[in-house]
Amino acid sequence: MGTSIVGLGMTELGRVYGRSPRRLAADAVRLAAADAGLALGDLDGLLVSHGMSGSPGIELADTLGLRDLRLLALVNSYGATAGAMVSYAAMAVLNGSATTVACVFADAPLKPKQSAGSAYNRDAPAGKAEWYGFGGMTAALGLRSVNSHYALAAQRHMARYGTTSEQLGAIAVATRRWAAGNPLAQLREPITIEDHQRSRWVSEPLHLLDCCLVSNGAVAVIVTSADRARDLARPPVHLWGWGQGHPGHRKERGSDFGLATGAAASGAAAMKMAGVTAADVDVCELYDCYTYTVLVTLEDYGFCAKGEGGAFAASGALGPGGSLPTNTGGGQLSAYYMWGMTPLSEAVIQARGDGGRRQAPSTDVILVSGNGGILDHHSTLVVSPHAKGA
Amino acid sequence: MEIGVLRRDGRTDPFFDGTAAGRLVVRRCEACDRWFAPDASGCPGCGEEDLGWAEASGAATLVTWTILPKEPPAFLALVELAEGPWLHARLDGVERADLREGLALRAAFEHPDEGESYVLFRPWTERGSVR
Ligand SMILES: [Zn+2]
Repeated sequence: MGTSIVGLGMTELGRVYGRSPRRLAADAVRLAAADAGLALGDLDGLLVSHGMSGSPGIELADTLGLRDLRLLALVNSYGATAGAMVSYAAMAVLNGSATTVACVFADAPLKPKQSAGSAYNRDAPAGKAEWYGFGGMTAALGLRSVNSHYALAAQRHMARYGTTSEQLGAIAVATRRWAAGNPLAQLREPITIEDHQRSRWVSEPLHLLDCCLVSNGAVAVIVTSADRARDLARPPVHLWGWGQGHPGHRKERGSDFGLATGAAASGAAAMKMAGVTAADVDVCELYDCYTYTVLVTLEDYGFCAKGEGGAFAASGALGPGGSLPTNTGGGQLSAYYMWGMTPLSEAVIQARGDGGRRQAPSTDVILVSGNGGILDHHSTLVVSPHAKGA
Repeated sequence: MEIGVLRRDGRTDPFFDGTAAGRLVVRRCEACDRWFAPDASGCPGCGEEDLGWAEASGAATLVTWTILPKEPPAFLALVELAEGPWLHARLDGVERADLREGLALRAAFEHPDEGESYVLFRPWTERGSVR
């Protein structure tokens, strides 16, 4: 017996205003159920994940009018949550505690007339700023944004392995080329390495075009047994394997912060369960909060040796026509930022063959990643249009 | 460097007693002989939540850095204290060309007219500060 993703629901994504995160989440679950050919009453499990908004929680079940659920929980592993939720849903189905589980993420950090960056940064207070304690001191001295923390990680990789900004740019360019074929992508205009190099510094060595979008919206998927999936409306996307990795980087001598991530343990576990190796993977849908995140994840998954992610990206492997189609919908860099639901939703679209102009040539084995915190948390899924072992 | 006004938070006050006196005071677990950043919440070695405070030498090396596009640019970093822990820090007296893994640094203390004293890290050689 196996498990499958049978429904995908996506609200409008991007600068979508006027709907609360809870309303967006409810809409996504309804869309996912309709997509699967299920009624809401068929759901007996709901796993909820929220972003910066801190909403919704498990009251979403009430909003949706769901009754007699056998599984209901708020799940939080930051950006690794989507993959984790799907694995918990699959385990619940496999052990019989639930039969049909919706997993949903929603967020609405963007406000009208507010910059995208300010949604995730600790802005200096107006006037003569007051800062409190040691943490306040580092913020006062300038370390206020997630961008700067990832910049510290990327810079360490550059200093240690010779990774270059142009190599990071190759990831931005390849991802944008994929986005051109995705009607849902927020940014579809082609870019060049020169555009990347000319884009403003956000926190050196990261340019603006190294950084993901910020989006409002919600995405839901529905997980059920492979047996039940056969009778539903859409082609099932089978779950072959899953894994997590939480390295617990200590900020002290000997830490490999920036050089390696939880992707190494997570990817190995997921691929072992799936019975595949990196060489079997046709498509990667990777969490790309930054170009650098893609690069280090590819290394940790074993698609190239440690330290060679830059050369691998610059080889053209990741873009349309490349040997390892990666982030085929434009990812978080160019399409939409729904945390781990960005790579997962595109994996479902590709596995179903719904990619249209951007459909990858082969999708037998698709690897999906999630990454949370400052490279603190990682999840991996291996999915396929084919039943496992078939 | 205009950074606003630093206040105590009741949790990291010994650190600011230290900066006022030109000393780098951080967290330390006596039992494990392990040092931590001033905002550490406990020792993962033994589970002690109420870590002590101890004066570090002030010697450090550069782990990694990022540059904020300001005028003048702000050089932010992770530095490794000689005692082992990493601190998020701001560098002072450096130029782009100086930046490399392992660059020797030394804590330097700033005493603004208003608010708490704070620490920056400057390049350092045996003969004293580079600049
Ligand atoms: Zn201890």
